[in-house]
Amino acid sequence: MSHSVKIVMVEDDHGHAKLIEKNIRRANIANDIVHFDHGDAALDYLFQEEVRRSGPLLILLDLNLPDMSGTDILERVKADERLRRAPVVVLTTTDDKGEIQRCYDLGCNVYITKPVDYEAFAGAIRQLGLFLSVMQAPEI
Amino acid sequence: MVPAMKRIRPALRTFGTFLRTPTLSRSIIALLALAILLLMAVNAATFVMIQRTATYNDTVDHSQQVRLAAKDMLMLLTEAETGQRGFMLTARTEYLGLHENAVAKLPGVVERMEQLAVGDQDQARRVAKVKGLYRERLKLMADTIELTRTGRIGEAVSLIRNGRGKFLMDQIRVELSAVDAVEAQRLTERTRQSERAQTVTVAVNALAAVLVLILAGISVWMVRRYVAEIEEAHFELDRVNAGLENEVRDRTAELTRANEEIQRFAYIVSHDLRAPLVNVMGYTSELEQVSKALEQQLTSLEATHPELVDAEALRSVREDAPEAVGFIRTSTAKMDRLINAILRLSREGRRALQPETLDMTAMVRAIADTVSHQVAETGGEITISDLPAMENDRLSIEQVFSNLIDNAVKYQQPGRPIHIEVSGRQEPDGWVSYAVRDNGRGVSPRDHERIFELFRRSGKQDTPGEGLGLAFVRNIVRRMGGVIDVESELGEGSTFYLKFPKRLIMLGDYQGDRL
Repeated sequence: MSHSVKIVMVEDDHGHAKLIEKNIRRANIANDIVHFDHGDAALDYLFQEEVRRSGPLLILLDLNLPDMSGTDILERVKADERLRRAPVVVLTTTDDKGEIQRCYDLGCNVYITKPVDYEAFAGAIRQLGLFLSVMQAPEI
Repeated sequence: MVPAMKRIRPALRTFGTFLRTPTLSRSIIALLALAILLLMAVNAATFVMIQRTATYNDTVDHSQQVRLAAKDMLMLLTEAETGQRGFMLTARTEYLGLHENAVAKLPGVVERMEQLAVGDQDQARRVAKVKGLYRERLKLMADTIELTRTGRIGEAVSLIRNGRGKFLMDQIRVELSAVDAVEAQRLTERTRQSERAQTVTVAVNALAAVLVLILAGISVWMVRRYVAEIEEAHFELDRVNAGLENEVRDRTAELTRANEEIQRFAYIVSHDLRAPLVNVMGYTSELEQVSKALEQQLTSLEATHPELVDAEALRSVREDAPEAVGFIRTSTAKMDRLINAILRLSREGRRALQPETLDMTAMVRAIADTVSHQVAETGGEITISDLPAMENDRLSIEQVFSNLIDNAVKYQQPGRPIHIEVSGRQEPDGWVSYAVRDNGRGVSPRDHERIFELFRRSGKQDTPGEGLGLAFVRNIVRRMGGVIDVESELGEGSTFYLKFPKRLIMLGDYQGDRL
């Protein structure tokens, strides 16, 4: 993944955020990671003109946010003509089939369930890192 | 007599109640009784009329005979006179024959008249008078004939001339016509009576007909009103029923909503419990890494500069930290299992049910086959009798029976060959029941409720388990509208009784999420 791609992580649990970041770094991904723990703040950031224009983005999205559902953010992002090109990776504890389906319907690119087992969790994040390293994010 | 009275009294009481209670049937029966009474009255009246007509016919006949006899008498007397006069004029004996013939018939006629006048003083008096008059007249005639025959015609003529004969004859005529007039008057009278009686009969009949028609009309009106009332009641009942159905539907919907909410609640809770668990496990691993790094560092330091290493610190990293991490790990692992159990329970509750006809014998046989090896190892066996089929969700019922059979194997009494017996039968009112009996370690009676609770177990905790199986089983059975019960003695074995509706009843429109 090119260096310019910015990773926007929306995750209310700081512990999860840190673990995700740690494991992404362990997979040798050095891109900028911007972290938001609220849906509002994340949307405010994403819909700034400069962010929308400033280059490729990748969004890591948790579904259980305190102020809104992650699917709301997903919907807004995928409805925006520029932001919708940004790949969205949903990373959450919910493995509800209905929820997964809904995310894909809304245009999510990857859906990963956070395993409670840490080894599996770390493994999943590292694989995500590998995936990110080969992925070409489009310019937006 | 007394027992008879005893039998009759309730009947009388019932009848009394019937009479006192104003009901439709009472009114109709009263109307019918009235109509029958009317018809009987009409019948009686008609009968009386017929009787009276017969009597009238008799009297008419009587009158006619009297009149006929009177006429006959007058005619015979006239004939006798004619014969007498002819003989006197011609002296030919054939006239005498005519006279004698008439005279011979007269007593009979008079006797007939007397008989007819019996019991009728007026007429009898007249007849008696006529009898006297006619005898005198006959005597007079006999005298003239005798005079004529002996040639004393002049004496005979003078005998006639004195007018006695004519006088007698006139008297007789007067009396006879009086008899005739009386009878004629009676005839008129009777005809008038008969006509009046006929009019009365017709009137009575007409009146009765009208009354019967009115009664019939009232009956029809009452029945129609009653039918209308029944229809009204029917309509009302339908309305109430519909209301009841709606109420049931509303309640069911409410319950379904409440159930859904609980399911959703369990689901959300388990997911929200999982999130912190990810951290606990994640950072435990991180700490483990840290402690490993420290341990390596301390070990290498110990090798080079043992005096710098604190023995306490070394033990902490080598023993205490791994031990703490180990406990955290086991606990979080257990918590993860429990959360998964709640999740599974909630998912099972939300799964869409697909009722189908289940061959229970085949299903239980297949489940038994999966444990047959373990059972055979102890020298035991599983007996499955013919089980009644039912219409239900295959997956759910399979889970119920495999849980029960697994438990029977899992909680066997050590050293005793396993015997499991599955039986079932049809129950009345569309139910089927099954029983799973084992000879395992059994459950103490005070734990009979506890074993069905989530995360609760009973007896010696020497087999692994989370206390989920029977909680799942009861949850499923209840969702299927069924009942589960246990009968067990510690050390003697257990019997689980299951009861299901023969056809799965889907509550409301809610059939679960497709998970």
